[in-house]
Amino acid sequence: MLFGLLCLTFAISHIVPGDPARLAAGPDANETMVRTLRTKYGLDQPLPVQFGRYLRGVLSGDLGESLRSHHAVLDDLVRYFPNTFELVTLSLGLAVLLGIPLGMLSAVRKDTWVDHLARVVAVSGVALPAFWLGLMLQLLIALHLGVLPLGGRLPLTAAPPAPVTHLLFVDALLRGEWGTFVTALRHALLPVVTLCFPALASIMRVNRAEMIETLTQDYIQSARAQGFSGFRIVTRYALRNAMIPTLTMIGLRYGWMLGGTVLVETVFDWPGIGLYAVNAAVSSDFQPIMGVTLLIGLNFMLANLLVDLAYGWLDPRIRRPGPR
Amino acid sequence: MIMRVRVSLLVTAVLAALAVAPPVAAFERAGDRKILVFAGRQEVPTIDPSVKYDWSIRMMQQALYDALVKYVGNPPEIVPWLAERWESSPDARTWTFHLVRNARFHTGDPVTAEAVRWSFVRTLRLNAGPAWMLSDFLKEDAIKVLDDYTIQFTLTQPYAPFLSFVPWWYVMNPKQVLTQEQSGDLGQKWLTDHEAGSGPFRIKRWEQGVLYEIEAVDGYWKGWPSKDHVGGVILKIVREAAAQRAALLRGEADIVEGLSADDFDQVARMPGIVVPNHPGMTTFGIKLNTQKAPTKDPNLRKALAYAFDYEALLKIYNGNAVLQTSPFPNATRGHIGVPGFYRQDLARAKEFLAKSAYPQGGIELEYVYVQGLEEERKMGLVLIDNLARLGLRLKLVPLTWPNMVARGAKVDTSPEMMAVFTTPVSTDPDAVAYQYHKNSWGKYYGSAFYANDGVWALIERARTVARWEERAPLYAEIQKRIAADAPEIFGMLANRRWGMRDYVKGFVFSPVRFTGEVDLYPLAVAAQ
Repeated sequence: MLFGLLCLTFAISHIVPGDPARLAAGPDANETMVRTLRTKYGLDQPLPVQFGRYLRGVLSGDLGESLRSHHAVLDDLVRYFPNTFELVTLSLGLAVLLGIPLGMLSAVRKDTWVDHLARVVAVSGVALPAFWLGLMLQLLIALHLGVLPLGGRLPLTAAPPAPVTHLLFVDALLRGEWGTFVTALRHALLPVVTLCFPALASIMRVNRAEMIETLTQDYIQSARAQGFSGFRIVTRYALRNAMIPTLTMIGLRYGWMLGGTVLVETVFDWPGIGLYAVNAAVSSDFQPIMGVTLLIGLNFMLANLLVDLAYGWLDPRIRRPGPR
Repeated sequence: MIMRVRVSLLVTAVLAALAVAPPVAAFERAGDRKILVFAGRQEVPTIDPSVKYDWSIRMMQQALYDALVKYVGNPPEIVPWLAERWESSPDARTWTFHLVRNARFHTGDPVTAEAVRWSFVRTLRLNAGPAWMLSDFLKEDAIKVLDDYTIQFTLTQPYAPFLSFVPWWYVMNPKQVLTQEQSGDLGQKWLTDHEAGSGPFRIKRWEQGVLYEIEAVDGYWKGWPSKDHVGGVILKIVREAAAQRAALLRGEADIVEGLSADDFDQVARMPGIVVPNHPGMTTFGIKLNTQKAPTKDPNLRKALAYAFDYEALLKIYNGNAVLQTSPFPNATRGHIGVPGFYRQDLARAKEFLAKSAYPQGGIELEYVYVQGLEEERKMGLVLIDNLARLGLRLKLVPLTWPNMVARGAKVDTSPEMMAVFTTPVSTDPDAVAYQYHKNSWGKYYGSAFYANDGVWALIERARTVARWEERAPLYAEIQKRIAADAPEIFGMLANRRWGMRDYVKGFVFSPVRFTGEVDLYPLAVAAQ
């Protein structure tokens, strides 16, 4: 699958119009300078040769070099991806923590004011563009009320903890820098809320729909007849079954969010992989584009694998071998 | 309907209340140093002086490195810097520079003629970044160290603009760079995010894509122009204009660049904020493909040039722009106001259209502009209206910058009309005139594929003449002839603007710097 992804990305990157060597050489560069750069990066070679060389590089852990910055793509990914990973993980974590109980509550209190309110939240989450919500939160909470910072990961003059994992929160904890951890958390709050909102809405909607359907099933009626408490029926019997489609949604969302954070990153100056990819795309800088695509593809596959494993944990029938 | 009106009124009220949130005045401090925060949109992917330049890169290069001479002020003057004086031979072929004796690199090594020679050779050898400025005239072995503090350049042919490019050739410390060399790369990998200069600042923190912090060098060899000079500068990358504006209002940024005309006007009205506003050297023009029909027809090109509503350009920039009066920007040496330069005149436009191969109009032209650049889109909308009066249709085609450059690179693919902003790298007229030379075909500013043997010969001759008294009339003639051929709709020069907290002092504007670029050396902070 990854190989297919690589082939596709390589083909798309190389058939779009634009001369990356000319763009990288600068607007005033003469033909000799452009030629020098083209030769240096092998862009004068036939496409199959370029692809073969790229594949060899990928297999040996070398994702190439950015034409724009001359940085190794792998170094850039190590620098930018952990920021996106933390942002997405926190946002999705928050969305799950809020979305599932809200979905449950909405289903149990169907057609009451609680349900109506939850549905308003759900519709808003899907309808509001993330950049707009981000800007409004920035204006209201950061600029007007001044209670949270406008953007970035840390204050300008604060030094980040020495990297261990390159994950700022984890590194701050590992180094025992509690102050840095709290400051980073304050900086993360607005982007996390912004990114969390659409995910929360989707999770809540799916969970609500599944819960409503599950609660009408015979085994739920039977549990009620046996005198089980409503709380137990909802959390232990209904939720478990309703969680399988919700989990699929969470898995898909996670993969999608890892590659779709660019607007939130732009608004909050979050130094993540989305911005890195966009900057590379607008400069026809092939190697970073392919590096990012590969990484996101890999994450998507991992997220789906984890979801598949979670199915088995939720539903024992799935992990049991079927009749031969 | 009433509900909808109420909601929109509410949203408007909330936004208005937010917009008048009081600005907070503060700058960053590190110990007793006052640190200015510059919120810019453009990253600094490399600071290697031999490899690349644009406004953000050059702003940092200028802070970290010194050159033999420097552009200062408006109109820009070339003043002594590492070279205390210089002389050229009467034919402008041999240039001799005498260096100051007290200049030191940040490592403490003296800045010698050998370091200057090595730096020029490095740039020529890597053949990137600023190399194109001199590589046709300067060869490695023609750079001679006469003594520790004297260096001589002998050009392959007389080249009068030589000095105008020297400010962008920064001097590096060879001793420091060569210790970091990897596989004969002349220190390229290391110099991407390290410096080896003698400039007024040194690197403190370099978080790629996030922020770049430089600190003032105590005891900078040239001294500091003010006792309140900044202790350091943080270039913070803020990619969204609304976030830049908010950062300025809240005092999280002291200087911002790149806001829209409306945003600049709005922040200029806020207390504690000033907006320097100066005519720049960046021209806006609509390049017309002179080699391909229909715009190959000079009469059609002139009809287009007379049909365009130039005043609308000024309105798009809320009046913060001046119209071009020549193909050369006003700050270019030798600029003249070309008599009868193009302004909207529909009668003349119709007259030229009648002489063209399309007397009834009835054709569609393509206007290509950079996707997302709102000003260029608005200019296209103005043009649609203007051309409709001639019976011409216009198709607006937004393209990403790489795609636009790719289309403009060949005669066959270059559109009939292409909206282009161009900033010349020097104040010498050759820097602009050469954009109309055949050697500029294929570059984005050469997308008109302008051809005129007489003009090309004049351009080639003018660059080799040493005496300005002889060069000036040649450039006057070049300007008139290019204008007469109408290879583009010559538009305007937008003013350069920055939003600044009012305690930022010492800002010196020089139009030869690129769009957002600021000389950080003279900046000071007046507030306590």
